[in-house]
Formats: sequence, C-alpha cells, structure tokens
Amino acid sequence: MLCVKRKAIFLFMPSEIWLVMRLTAFLLTFALLQVSARSVSQNVTYSGKNVPIDQFFSAVRQQTGFAFFYNDQDLRSARPVTVELRNVPLEKALEESLAGQPLAFVIKGNTVFITPKKMAPVLSPAALAIEPPNEVRGQVTDSLGNPLAGASVVVKGTRKGTSTDAAGSFRLSHVGENATLLISFSGYFSREIKLNGKDYFDIVLQRNNSPLDAVQVIAYGTNIQRYNLGSVSSLTSEEIAKQPVMDVLLALEGRVPGLSVSSTSGAPGAAVNLQIRGQNTLSSSSGLGLTLPFDQPLFIVDGVPFAPQNRNTNLYRTMGTPSSTPFNDQSILNAGLSPFSSINPADIERIDVLRDADATSIYGSQGANGVILITTKKGKPGATRLDVYVKSGASKATRIPKMMTTQQYLAMRRNAVISDGMGSILSPPGSNDPYNQKSYPDLLVFDSTRYTDWGKEFLGGEAPFTDAHASLSGGTQTTTFNLTGGYTHTGYSYPGGFADNRVSANAGFHHNSSDHRLVVDLSTYYSYDRNNSSTSSLSAFALPPNQPDLLDGNGKLVWLYKGIDVVNNPFAYLKQSSDIQSYNLNSNLKISYQLLPGLNLSSGFGYSKYNTRQYNANPSSSYNPTALAYIQSSANFGNTDQETLIIEPQLSYNRTLGRGKLDVLAGGTYKKNSNDQTTLTGTGYSSDDLLGSIAQASAITATTHSLQYKYAAFFGRIGYNWSGKYLINLTGRRDGSSNFGPGRQFGNFGSVAAGWIFSEEPFFKKALPFISFGKLRGSYGTTGTDGIAPYQYQANWGPANASSTSPFQGVIGLQPLNLFNPVYSWAVNKKSEAGVDLGFLKDRIVAGLSIYQSRCGNQLVQYQLPIQTGFFGVAANLPALVQNSGIEITLTTTNIRTPDFTWTSSFNISFQKNKLLAFPGLETSPYASTYFIGKSVNTMVGAKYAGVDSTGAYRYAKGKGGYTNRPNFLNSVEQGGDGYFLPNTDPKYFGGLNNTFSYKNFNLSFFLRFNKQTGQNYRAGIYSSGQYPGAMSNLPAAMAGHFWQKPGDQASFARPITAITPTNIGVYFGNSYYYFSDAVYSDASYIRLQNLSFSYTMPDSWLRKARVKNCVFTMSAQNLLTITGYELGDPETRNLYSIPVQRTIVAGLSFTF
Amino acid sequence: MKNKQSTTNLYLAWTLALVLPAFSCKKLIEIPANAPGNIVTSQVFTDSGSAVAAVTGIYSGFMGSFGSFDFPSGAITLYTGLSGDELGYTGTGQSSQAFFQNQLLPTTQNISDLWQGAYGSSRLYQINACIEGLSANKTLSASLKNQLTGEVKTARAFFYFNLVNLFGPVPLVVSTDYQINNTLPRSDTGLVYQQIVADLTDAEKQLSAPYPSAGRERPNLYTALALHARVNLYRQRWAEAEAAASKVIDAGVYHLETDVANVFFAGSAEAIWQLPPGGGVFNPNMVTTEGYLFVPDMIYTQVPPYVISDHLYAAFGTGDERLTNWINTSTDGVHTYHYPAKYKRSYSNYSSPAEDYMVLRLGEQYLVRAEARAEQNNIAGALDDVNTIRERAGLADTAAATQADMLGILMRERQLELSCEWGHRWYDLKRTGTISTVLGTEKPGWKPSAAYYPIPLNQIKLNPRLTQNEGYTQ
Repeated sequence: MLCVKRKAIFLFMPSEIWLVMRLTAFLLTFALLQVSARSVSQNVTYSGKNVPIDQFFSAVRQQTGFAFFYNDQDLRSARPVTVELRNVPLEKALEESLAGQPLAFVIKGNTVFITPKKMAPVLSPAALAIEPPNEVRGQVTDSLGNPLAGASVVVKGTRKGTSTDAAGSFRLSHVGENATLLISFSGYFSREIKLNGKDYFDIVLQRNNSPLDAVQVIAYGTNIQRYNLGSVSSLTSEEIAKQPVMDVLLALEGRVPGLSVSSTSGAPGAAVNLQIRGQNTLSSSSGLGLTLPFDQPLFIVDGVPFAPQNRNTNLYRTMGTPSSTPFNDQSILNAGLSPFSSINPADIERIDVLRDADATSIYGSQGANGVILITTKKGKPGATRLDVYVKSGASKATRIPKMMTTQQYLAMRRNAVISDGMGSILSPPGSNDPYNQKSYPDLLVFDSTRYTDWGKEFLGGEAPFTDAHASLSGGTQTTTFNLTGGYTHTGYSYPGGFADNRVSANAGFHHNSSDHRLVVDLSTYYSYDRNNSSTSSLSAFALPPNQPDLLDGNGKLVWLYKGIDVVNNPFAYLKQSSDIQSYNLNSNLKISYQLLPGLNLSSGFGYSKYNTRQYNANPSSSYNPTALAYIQSSANFGNTDQETLIIEPQLSYNRTLGRGKLDVLAGGTYKKNSNDQTTLTGTGYSSDDLLGSIAQASAITATTHSLQYKYAAFFGRIGYNWSGKYLINLTGRRDGSSNFGPGRQFGNFGSVAAGWIFSEEPFFKKALPFISFGKLRGSYGTTGTDGIAPYQYQANWGPANASSTSPFQGVIGLQPLNLFNPVYSWAVNKKSEAGVDLGFLKDRIVAGLSIYQSRCGNQLVQYQLPIQTGFFGVAANLPALVQNSGIEITLTTTNIRTPDFTWTSSFNISFQKNKLLAFPGLETSPYASTYFIGKSVNTMVGAKYAGVDSTGAYRYAKGKGGYTNRPNFLNSVEQGGDGYFLPNTDPKYFGGLNNTFSYKNFNLSFFLRFNKQTGQNYRAGIYSSGQYPGAMSNLPAAMAGHFWQKPGDQASFARPITAITPTNIGVYFGNSYYYFSDAVYSDASYIRLQNLSFSYTMPDSWLRKARVKNCVFTMSAQNLLTITGYELGDPETRNLYSIPVQRTIVAGLSFTF
Repeated sequence: MKNKQSTTNLYLAWTLALVLPAFSCKKLIEIPANAPGNIVTSQVFTDSGSAVAAVTGIYSGFMGSFGSFDFPSGAITLYTGLSGDELGYTGTGQSSQAFFQNQLLPTTQNISDLWQGAYGSSRLYQINACIEGLSANKTLSASLKNQLTGEVKTARAFFYFNLVNLFGPVPLVVSTDYQINNTLPRSDTGLVYQQIVADLTDAEKQLSAPYPSAGRERPNLYTALALHARVNLYRQRWAEAEAAASKVIDAGVYHLETDVANVFFAGSAEAIWQLPPGGGVFNPNMVTTEGYLFVPDMIYTQVPPYVISDHLYAAFGTGDERLTNWINTSTDGVHTYHYPAKYKRSYSNYSSPAEDYMVLRLGEQYLVRAEARAEQNNIAGALDDVNTIRERAGLADTAAATQADMLGILMRERQLELSCEWGHRWYDLKRTGTISTVLGTEKPGWKPSAAYYPIPLNQIKLNPRLTQNEGYTQ
C-alpha cells in the first residue's frame, strides 16, 4: 500500500532521483532502527528491594552501556538499594538510588565515577544554604564554531563535572554561583570560566599549538593528526597566501610528501601534472579519450568531484601547449590549460592530500591514485569583518636558453654546407644563384653582421601580475556567512599583450538551529576565467640571429627580404589568437540533522558545471602571402560542458563505548557526470574581420563528443578510539561505475587500520618523559580505478572525422572507433603502510615517518597493439603487477619561541621506488621491449652513446664490442642487439624545507624545494625534431665551437649537416639515433628557492588612528633562485622549447576592517 | 530483551545494506546503450543506409585531409618516385632526402605512417569489419550485400597489392579479431597474392557491370577485373592477365581519351576507378593531393619541391604529348624546373576543369594486355596495344622484331605512360628484376636491399614476431 502511494507521488520524477530517494529512505530506516536501539539505553527502568549496590550498578550498566568505576572499599559502607525506577534518566536514577548514601557520582562521557561523599561540608547547614540547586548550561566550540563533543567540564576544586555531548552542550546542576568551571579538551588550551551568577555560557576553546592537534580533513569528516591513522598531509590558507601563483596546484609543489607536482610550461594557467606516490599503471598514453596519464588523483572541492582526471580545458592549441620542436609545433593536446586555474587560491581554506589505504579506500574505485580534498573558506562567528588585499608585481621568464651569436651561428652553418659537399654555394657564382639564395638565405642574403637576441625579444618581457581579493564574513554562533570576490590578472612574457584574467566569487552560508540538531551548510563558488593568448608557444629564440626585422614600421608582418621569402615569422603566430573562456560553478548543500545525541542523518547535494568556450582565429593576415594560395583564414569554435551531480546521504553515529569512543559512518553516493564537446571549424570567410562569427563561414565542419558517466556506491566506516591509546579504523565501499561493461560494473574495496599511542602508556611516560607523543600506525586496504572512457566494451562506429575527410557522394561515411573488449574491469591497487608519529619536548618537535608499498595489479590500460590490428590499443586488463614503495619523512620544529621572536621549520622528504614485479607473458606481448621485470615502469632501453667517430658522426656501442652509427637498440645486448638500459628518470627523492621567522610585527619565511632526478636534457629537444644541427635554426651557445670539423677533433657534437647526401650519410644515421641514446639524459636535480615571503603588520597605534583592525604589508616571490647542474632550460619542465618557468615577485597590502 | 531486539535490528540493517545495492545500483549507473552519434557494429549492418555509409566511409578516408598524403592518396606516388628514378627533391626536409638517397631507417616516421595508412582503423580494419558485418547480417538484400562485399574485397586486394610491393611479405590481416591479429607474423608474398586473387575472384562474382552510384567512384565488375589483370601480370599468369584486360577493354564502357590533357579530369572516359578529392572544408576547391604536392604554389619563387628526374625527362621522345601535358615547367629566372602535372589544379590555381583522383584507368589495361601478349609471344597483338597508347600520345607507331625488343619497348612505354602514378615504375623495376641494374647506374649509393622499405621499428616493438627486411638494422 505504502509502496503504491510512493510510486504515485514520484511518478513524474526521473527514475534516478527516485532511486536516490529510495537510497535515502533506506538510510533513514536504518537510522530509525538505531534510534530505537539507542532510546532504551538512555533511561533506566529498574525495580528492586534491598539489592546490593554493586548489583544495581551492573544492571544499570547493562541497560545504559555506561561504565561504572568505583573502589570496592568505598562500596562497603553503602547500604543495599531499594528503588522503583520507570524510564528515569540515568542521572536521576543515580541521584535517587544514592540518596542518603555515603557515595557521590560524577558522569564523565559514558562513564560513571562513584566516589565517597565528603561528609563534613555537606552536612554543614551553612554550606547547604550557600549551594542552591541551580543549573549551568553551555556549549563548547572551537574557534570555527564547530561543537566539541566529549570536552570535559569540571567545577574547579571539586570532582563535580561532566563532558559535552555531540552538540558540544553540557549541563551541570548544583553548581555554586561563584564557582569556576574548568573546561578542557585534548588538543585545545584549557579555559577557566567564572560563573558570576550566569547560567549559560558559550565557550570557545583555542587550539593549542601542537601540530599534532591541527585539524585534518578526511573522507566525509575531520580528524586530528594525533588520532588519525591515515596518511594525510595538509596545506593551509596561510601557506597558500604566501605564494603568488595563479594555479593552486602550484602552491603544492614540494609541500606534501609523496606528491610530485610539475608544471608543464610557464604560461599562465598551464596544466600541472600531479602524481601521488608514483606511477601505478603501465601505460601513460592517450587514446582512451583521456589526454593525460590516468594516474591523476581524485579531486574533490567542497564535497563535489572536480576536474575529472585533471583534464585540460582547451580543445585547440594554445600558447600553454608546450611545443616539442622549434618551428613546427604540431604537438597534440597532451598538455594545455589547467582546470584549476579557475579557482582563486585565496578562496581556499585548506587542501588535504590523502594517500594511504585508510584515507582513500572509502573512495573505492576512485581512490587508487590518491585523493585531494579542497575546502573553500567559510565564515566565522563574530563581528562582521571585511578583509581586502591587493597584490601587484611581475613575472619574468627564467633560464631562457642563451643562443649562438651571429658569428657562431654562421660558422656552424658554413661547416654544415661544407659537410654536405656544397661548399661551392658560399662564393660566387654559387652564392648568386637564386635557388641557393632561397635555400640558404641566412648565409647568402641576410646581413651577416646583424644580431638579434630573439630569446630576449620574445621571452624577455615582463608579465604583470595583479591580484585583488575582498571578503566579507561574520555571523553569530548559529549563523555565519561569507562573501568573497577576487580578481587575478596574469600576463604573458610574450609580446602581444596576452593575459589570463580571472574573476571569482565565493558565497558561504552556515546555520545551525539553536539546539544544534539541524545544521545547514551551503557553499557556492563561481568563477570566470579568460585566457587570451596565441595558438602556439612557438620558440622564436631558435630563429637565425641575423634574421631581418619581422615587423615593418607599421607593425605589419615582413615576409620578404631582398626578394627572398622569410618563411618563418613568429609574429604571425602571435596574430593567431586563442581565446579561452571558462565558467566554473561549484555548489554544495549539506543538511544534517541530529536524530538523537550522537546520531546524525545528513546528505550532501553537490552540483558543478564547468563550461569552456574556446575561439581560435587564424586570420589570413597572419599567413605568409605565399601560403595564402592554399591556406585560408579559418576560425575554430570549441565548447565543452562538464556537469556533475552528486548526492551523498550519510548516517553517522558516535558514542562512548566502554572506555572508548566509537564512530560509525554509513552512506551512499550517487554521481552523474556528463561531458559534452562540440567543435566547429569555419573557413571561407570573406574578410578577417568576420572570423568571430561561425555564420560568416562559407564552409563549416563540426564534431561532437559526448561522455556519460554514472557511479553509485555504498560505503561505511567504523572507528574506535579506546581511551586515546588504541585506535582502529575500518572502511569499506561497494561501488559501481558505468564505465565498465555489463557484469563487470561492481567492485568491493576496503581497508583496515590500527594505531597505538604508546606515549599514553604510564610506563612510557615515566621512562621517556621527553617524548610527548608517540604513535605507531599501520593500514592495509584496496582501492581501484575506473579512469577510462565509457563504451569501450562494444565496437562503436561513428561519423568519419570531419576535419580529415569529406562526405562521399553527399553522405558522411561511418568509421569504426575502437576495438572492443567486453571483459575489462577494475584495476586494483593494494596499499599497505606503516608509520610512526613522534612528538618531543611538548610537541615542539614533531616527526613523522611513513613507509608504504602499493601494488597495482590487474592493470586497466589501453593495451598497446601493433597497428596491424587497426588500432593502437584496446582497453584491457594487464596481468602486470606494479609496485610503488617509498618512505616519507616529515619534521616540524619550533626552534625558538620567545614572546618577540619565533622560528619554526618544517621539512619533508620522500623517497620513491617503482618496480614492475610481474608480467606473465611479457616476452611475447607488445610490451616485450618496453617493460622489464624488476625495473621501474619508466625504464627504457636505448643506444649507448660512445662519442663522435672519425667521420664526424655519432657512434654507439655495439653489444658485441665495437661501434656503429646504426645501433640495433631494440634488442638488448643479451638478445644479440645493441640495446642498453637508459637512465631511470623516476625522481629518487624530493621534498621541501620551510623556515618561518617572526619578530614582533615582522614575518619572514622561505621555502626551498628539492628534487633529485635524472631527466632528458636540452639535447633531447634538439634531436627529437628530425631537424638536425646545421639546419636553419639557431642552437644553444653552449654547442658553439664543439662541433666536429676535421678528423682528429675531440668534438662533443657531430658534424652539422643541412641535407642527406651520400657523403654525410653516417652523420645522418648517427643523428637519427641520438635521441634514443643515453646522451640525451643527464642529472636534472635541483634546489629551488620556491618561495620567499615577507610581511609586516602595522603597529596597533597606527591601526587605531586609521580605524582599521589590521593592516599587513607583504612581499613575496616565487621561483626566485634555482641551484642546478642542469645545463640549459628548466630542470622541472625539461622541455627546451616550452615557455620557461616564470619568476614572480609581488608586493601587496591587506586590510581588515 | 530490548537489547536483543536492537541487536537483531542492527543485523537486519546491515543485511539490508549489503543486499539493497544489488537491486538499485545497477539502475543508478545505467547509461544509454550508445554514446550520442555512435552505433555498434550490429546496428551498422542492419540498415542499408548505414551499411552503405560504412563502406563509403572507406572511400572518404582514401583521400585524407587537406594537403596530407597517405597510403591511398599520393604517398605511394611520391615515395616510390623519390626512391626510384622519377623524382628529385629541391628542399631540405630530411625525410624526403632519406627516400631520395635510399637511406631509410626503421625509425623514419613516414614509413610508420605509410604502414599505418594501410592497416589503420579506416583502412584494412574497416574493410575487414565491413566484410564481417555484411556476412553476419541477414536483413540486407542479397544484391546489396553482394555489391558492398564485392566493393570492399576489391579495396582489400588493392591495399594488399600495394603492401607486398612496398614491403615484401606483410602480415595478412583478414579479420577484426585483435587477439589473432596482434601477433600475426609476415606472410609470404605468395600467400598474400593468393588472398588478393581470392578476393578479386569473389568480387568478380559479386559485382555487376553498372557502377552502383553516380560516376565511377565505387568499384564495379571491371574495377575488380582491371586490378585482377594487373595482379596476374605481376604473377606472370600471362593468359589470365590478357583475358582479364581484354574483358575490360572490350566492355565498351571505357575509351581512351583522345587528348592526353583530358585523362585525369573528372568524368574521364578511361577512368575505371576515380575518387573525388576529399578534405572537407580545407579543400573547397577540390584539389587532389598530388596536385597540391607537385604544383609549385609559391608566389615569390617558382621552385617546385619535387622535380622530374633527368632520367625520366630524357626518356620522353620529341613530340610526345605526354611530355607537354603531364609535365610542367617553371623557372626562378636562372634554373628551369620540371614537375609532374598529371593533376594541374593547385590551391592557387583551380581554374582548370575538375580533376578526380585516378586509381585505375584503361590506358594501363592496354599495357597490361600488351605485356601479357608479348610474353606469350604474340608480338603483333602486343604492338597493337602499345601503338594504341602511342598514337594517343601523338607518337608514330613502333615496331619490334623480337620478344625482347617488344618487352623493352613496353617497359619504356610503361615508364612514360604511367610516370608518377601509383608507384608503377618502382614496382616494374622490381618485378622485372632490373632495379639494381637501372638504379645502380643512376643513383650513387644504391643498395639492392633498398628495393623494399623497412618494417617500421615501432611495429616490430609492438609485435615481436615481425621481422625486419634485409639490409636494415632492426
């Protein structure tokens, strides 16, 4: 009957919502079952005559679950009890049964302490008169207004006391009017409150300074490091604020153990690659509809999943896309613009990075690569305050490669022409030949005394940086709000006035009913970002240094010089604009209701929409008139819509159980994600001025791409903290993902973790008193990953690619899109971890050590295939087992703490090791020459460089002795080939060191970041292009004078060539294999002064005069100095031809009104 | 007692928590059966419209995009022209130089692109998928199924014919099952030819004489026969080659264009298979890839990137209309350059009549039959056919006394008539065993092993059972 009625009500709702409601209904049912279980144990029903008092206590214990503590001797003087109790609250029950007894009781938490009554004072009539039967109530919260449950409230000088309930409330009766309450809570400074006749108190406890008591945000809740069993690291707004970065991911660089962060380019808003604890999966290639390695962590912003797979937001090329070759920038969209550039770092309260199984297993199939939780700022109770800051400064490219002078360059070019056997072109009549002049204009036509530093011309500019932010917040204990607005402007160091502009707004509302049972939290984030640049990150610094002017007096592109076609004019690319606008809405509503003390039903409703509109214009005025014959002006219009809906009903329950605290969480997740892309390309415009409208194009092609993803799960967590000493935590999740084929959609994941705070053991306290805290912890669990495009389990056909084909006889043909594999499923990552956290000298020194191992098996990858199968790969599970293991050490110290001066330091270092443990059938698989058992998955085999031979060609060691220009590196030496292992490019260790000094109103901090690694050097960039030294592009000055010229030369670079001729064929071969040899690897370790920040807080006297509450002057610098042996380019991006990493220096003022 | 009940409730709740997801989760994660705009194989071949679209999708992919050249669109002409003795190169691009100098490496990107251009998803894979999909379907009409199957089998034969002639033995992929295909080794050329013949034989049974659609853009019976005639010539099945070529010549459908200038125009009377240039919005003027490749478009310079080699140029006799019509000249003021101009429409000059991309034409059939007749010692018959071609080129009739003379004349005639067209010259030098004699004198640094292109290194890496051709490091 009931069912029918419900159906009727929900008849018009989509079935999914209906299902979610059923899910909620189920949880509610579950809650109510719990309610009935709990309600009987609150009160006492008992009747008995002359019952021995200890028997009475044990009956009450059974009913209520409250433990009783007493001394047997004290009970001897007690009389048997005669009571008749019907559903009486515990406190009343005890009062009644102990009336007239020589015993008193105190309830602390879920424990009843029975003590002998101090007879004399009570019997004093005077005392009785002073002590009225009054009652004191109150609530204990932290400075953020969060109720503190289980805080102890004791009447000073007595044993009378209680502890706060889940809402932080307490109630004490028979407290003297002038008594003093002592409120204490672990991790917070204790407070004393004089009653002075008042009977209600809102008590705010300040957190004490032990880093161990800093709050950490974990999955569906919070914890403090002291009790947390998971591996969680946090970055707070204070540390973010010091860093003038546009993308908050860059603020994480070096700060979090186990998290490697690297920017792909120095362009504002460029993509940032993240990886937590190493590469888990074998294949990091594209092809599954994803453009990045899918070892990206799961990102959650205010409870809503954000930026799935950290995918780029651009659909077409933009300046942020690093180029791999100097002039022919055809690189695919393997990097681009970061989705995180749409979040203003100033709006972020904290970022928590979850790494191990205990922290991530509750995310099930999405947690395999770690989870990053981002929490935006919320309002705080108190007077309404207005915070405003303005920062301004500039960025400048660092480590721009120094290129050859004209003299060096022309010498190298002449050398090349002579090695080709074409020396005759250098003097008349050869030099007068128009064909030669066209082919070698730099040698024969351009002014040989002219010199332009193209690096300075294009990259040497200063890019302005401006950041302004205002926030209004405040509220009462029950309702708080915050409203912020921000504006960030970041320029490009290129000429052309390119910039990234961002406007952001954040609104938060928090309300709790006065009884604290209903809590409503709403946060909404909206931002608009416009990144306006060019379609290419062209590396103009490789232009010949004697290249004539590229612009004429009127700013028009120059294409002809003395009748010779210039061909490359980088300013042309600057006229091809790429305009990307992103609109980001992220909203989450969380409603929580306390059904009973300790039992909360809540649900989060999250919605996010990320919309990108890209417009790339290629006007005909930007093309060489020569090319205009066959290239038309065109315009690209791209639209991406990403929408996520998430509903997460939860039920949480906590109570004291025995001497411990039990926390239970059960919940469900429903998530729906859709991603729609549309691209339109228009050509045949009658004028460049009309490019902005697709309607003006005479020919249009369109592509659409649509992905749908649905996910549903149940999860649970049980945590038990026994007496602050023994901790255990269990999590589990069963989830299903639409990315998998029928029958393979569901997976189970779980973790178990345990900890022992040994420093709480009395014997330990006695033996090693200087150790203020010590915890051993361990966890083991499973996580998965479903980072794969949907529909790979069936053979899909779609319209023939509109940009590379045309309709045939008026019909758009169909083409197959993928190989199908009906049987792939989750990759499973088994993570185990052991750790120790230590505090010394009252936690002035806190150290942490984690040792972890994760083994990812049943690898879900794009299984590589030879193209004879039709495709490059197929979605499949590999039997490969990849192990990532490592050690992470953190150290936080307060070195000096005096009233005026403090010096604190924090340090982290991570060691990582990646290893392929097993791969059955490797020898006969397509991976036979790619992966090696026992080696890192990033290990490659290549040629062994052995210098320059007597003909000026690179040579390589042969496996069987001797040298060759054409090594057979595919086969290892054991297999009879010339292949050797190339250097391992995994970082060996990395980390950071932060020091903060404050003296009176001054604050200074610096942060050093380091990374020990081997990586590709600049020579990889030069030899990857297929354009070998000698061609018409400039080379780094470091190479000048080191080219082979004649037999007997001890040269480090092969003879330059411009063409393949029978005489220089050996050089050509040698060049072709150079990129595949160990010669393009070198040490890429570095120490970087990542951040230097200084602030001065204006003195109070000044502030009072100016009627401001606070005013701070700040100066900060990012990427100030790099110490490295890396020869050219940046050791972080390791790409000679991408936009160099920027150094940013800003100064600012912030006010609080 | 109450406690007991609450425990029971608790168990019940947990049981529900574990059982419930099984009912509801499946529905929660339901998504539509296909992504928007996509269909699965079984749907493709149930509807005649989509089945035709699946087959014509192969032809859409033939011509590639603007300016790109690929296995079926210009790459074979260009690469074999450079490797052989038809083309020279004026630029500095190292990949073109590598072809010209016969110094290819297994790492050369163009080689791996060429391989992919034959085996890729819209090429042999799609052909195989169509054959499988058509044969599995029971709702399409038999005539449509036959027509479409015959078309794709002809296309498959065409791909394999070119593959064996470029690379020698190649993996013979005839299904879509990647679990079989990913480890296929290279098959003997004999086996590949067997498959080609089988496909063409089937196609001849399945195809009918009329073209299935407007123009000569989709294969008909004679397309299969014409290719079959060529394949038989390569296999030295002279009588069969003659018979097949005769069927095409005598069909009454095709006629030699009287003016050689008109041979490559759209609607050419001698076209047997002729595809419209593709390329979508970037190619609104319908320029063939070869027109784009060879005709110099530069405003400031008239240097064409690829020039007719001196050997080829010298081979033309005076008065040969093919020299004046199929080869054009440009100059930069000092030098004179000759470039291939069978296709004249370029991106800057598309005023000439529309051109379609010629895959098979009648002119070749005369030469196939002539050679087959000559090999069967029918000198008179051979002369008939050769002179038909010569007359059309404005040349006087030739005569031959011996079979060897006749074959010599034929080779020269093939060199001229089929110059810079689909690799004919390169293939002819190889099948007649004269490549090292000819190129050894014409090209310094010639090695016999350069007659076959290397197997791409990245493919050997992915399929360790692939072997490398002789003379290459890997």
